[in-house]
Amino acid sequence: MSALLEISNLQAAIGDKTILKGLDLTIQAGEVHAIMGPNGSGKSTLSYVLSGKDGYDITGGSMHFDGQDLADLQAEERAIAGLFLAFQYPLEIPGVTNMTFLKTALNAVRRGRGEDDMDAASFLRLAREKSRALGMDDDMLKRQLNVGFSGGEKKRNEILQMAMLEPKLAILDETDSGLDIDALKIVAEGVNAQRSPERGMLVITHYQRLLDFIKPDVVHVMANGRIVRSGGPELALELEKSGYADYRAEGVAHA
Amino acid sequence: MLITVPKGSLMLNALAHFERAKPQLGGDVEARAQALQQAELLGLPTRRVEAWHYTDLPRLLNRSASSSDALTVNDFSALKPHYLVFENGHLSADLAQLSAEFVSPDADLSADAMTLYNQALAENGLTLKLDKSPEAIVIVETKGSEAQHLMHRVRLSAGVKATVVDDHAALGYSNVIWQVELAADAELTLVHMQQSGQYVGHCTVDLATNAQFKQITLLTGGDVARHATDVNLQQSGAKADLHSAILGRAVSHNDVTYTINHQAADTHSHTTSHQALADSARGVFQGKVIVQRDAQRVDAQMQARAMMLSSEAEINAKPELEIYADDVVCAHGTAIGEIDADALFFLRARGIDEASARQLLISGFVEQLLTHCDDSALADVLRHHIEQKISALTLTKLEAEHAV
Repeated sequence: MSALLEISNLQAAIGDKTILKGLDLTIQAGEVHAIMGPNGSGKSTLSYVLSGKDGYDITGGSMHFDGQDLADLQAEERAIAGLFLAFQYPLEIPGVTNMTFLKTALNAVRRGRGEDDMDAASFLRLAREKSRALGMDDDMLKRQLNVGFSGGEKKRNEILQMAMLEPKLAILDETDSGLDIDALKIVAEGVNAQRSPERGMLVITHYQRLLDFIKPDVVHVMANGRIVRSGGPELALELEKSGYADYRAEGVAHA
Repeated sequence: MLITVPKGSLMLNALAHFERAKPQLGGDVEARAQALQQAELLGLPTRRVEAWHYTDLPRLLNRSASSSDALTVNDFSALKPHYLVFENGHLSADLAQLSAEFVSPDADLSADAMTLYNQALAENGLTLKLDKSPEAIVIVETKGSEAQHLMHRVRLSAGVKATVVDDHAALGYSNVIWQVELAADAELTLVHMQQSGQYVGHCTVDLATNAQFKQITLLTGGDVARHATDVNLQQSGAKADLHSAILGRAVSHNDVTYTINHQAADTHSHTTSHQALADSARGVFQGKVIVQRDAQRVDAQMQARAMMLSSEAEINAKPELEIYADDVVCAHGTAIGEIDADALFFLRARGIDEASARQLLISGFVEQLLTHCDDSALADVLRHHIEQKISALTLTKLEAEHAV
């Protein structure tokens, strides 16, 4: 059986600036991987390159998701294929209600997967059920998308989108940033509820704290555009003690 | 339903129009003739007139109308409204018998040319004088393809609340005047929807103590759309909410011009404009806030935003503050941008294709107008109208791309 995500020697640049410098990563269905690393190591770039944001040139290597070459797919096609990015900074979209957005997204993904649109009543039931499970007020569905949402509400809303779209692989980009401990627990519970043998997760974080709540199977350290070390959950604890100083040095050595 | 807009302007020969209409024209025909003579002497306003600097009316009215758009039928039935229909300048239906008999305007030879043309040629209009709040909203539908001059009057007595919708789907030239008078504590919501034709409108609103005027203007089509509003906040506590949204397409010229005159203390005004401009559409936003010397504690806020959807589109924004009082809170802001690339990626990353994502962002931008509409059934009609026009917009764009 092929891996859910297989990244091999991936190189990516913005203009003249190379950011990913030969990255290897393999994730099997059911696994939760964490990527940790200092600021500027290319963690967010990896999440954007995987999910198909414009402006990045893939200059070498390959990335395959569920047997498909991601480079061949537009951002929306990747979402339909089952890739989901929970944004570090979810966008505010004035004038579009959360409900309209969720419905448009869900039906776009269903259509892309060869399914019929969900009827209005079933959609409403599903959206309410999933949002209540995340402790969200029904009112949040009626509000304009992320407009005036607190940091915690925005992140919870990302997890709601993930619950609605049921991806095969979820990439969580610094989901802990801007959250207090209570909000972090709620978001982590929402994520943990979606762990399953069919689903992979890639948790990108600067701090070990998130990994107390979302227990990873594998921890990677990223520095200077590459994975420089991989290990079990204990690696995160070690980083918490020693910091990233060693890896910064290594990054410079490679540069 | 596809309708081809008649070529060229229909008002070029006002004299001929006058002669033709003479038998039906009420009031003092001699005074009308004088108004017409004065109007012809002044001529159409040119760009040298400051209020018309960005709207070159003689040129705009003389060019061939090029758009042939499908008209959207606005279904207000859920609101159970009172309905008036003006077709080619004549009242063709007044189902509720709501409007009083039309009284011809007095000629005021000191008026501007467009008002003078209206004084000479208006043979009809809504005449709404209410002493108690009506049970339903009033829809004034305008259609037909001939030149028309309408003079609408709305006068609300103390404490009366009403909503009037100007649903404009006429194909030719229209010169429309609105005269609104609101007594103490009266509240009027006036909605203007224009989707076709060449509309030159001027609305004047006088507000007494604690009266409230809310104007919601939605321009989605037509060759020329000039919507000028003068608001006079004459007594304390009066409040004006002026909100507009424009979906400009093809070569349409869309102009919203406000003059807000705070004449008394403790008066408030709030103005917003959202203009989404595609193809070679042009948008104009002019907003002038005047605060008179004794009008202390005035709060005046004005925001104009434009979303440029094509490199050929053009926006002219001119907010102005003219303040003679010292204890006031006044602000204005203008923001001009394009579709936000990050927002577009966010939507695409949720499986929404690029064309649909753009459509969603444009409708979100334009539909911010609806946050000011308190009547949810009315907001639904406006939303449906916007969605229809936006789907037509994307279709044109895709066709153009395929043609290349």
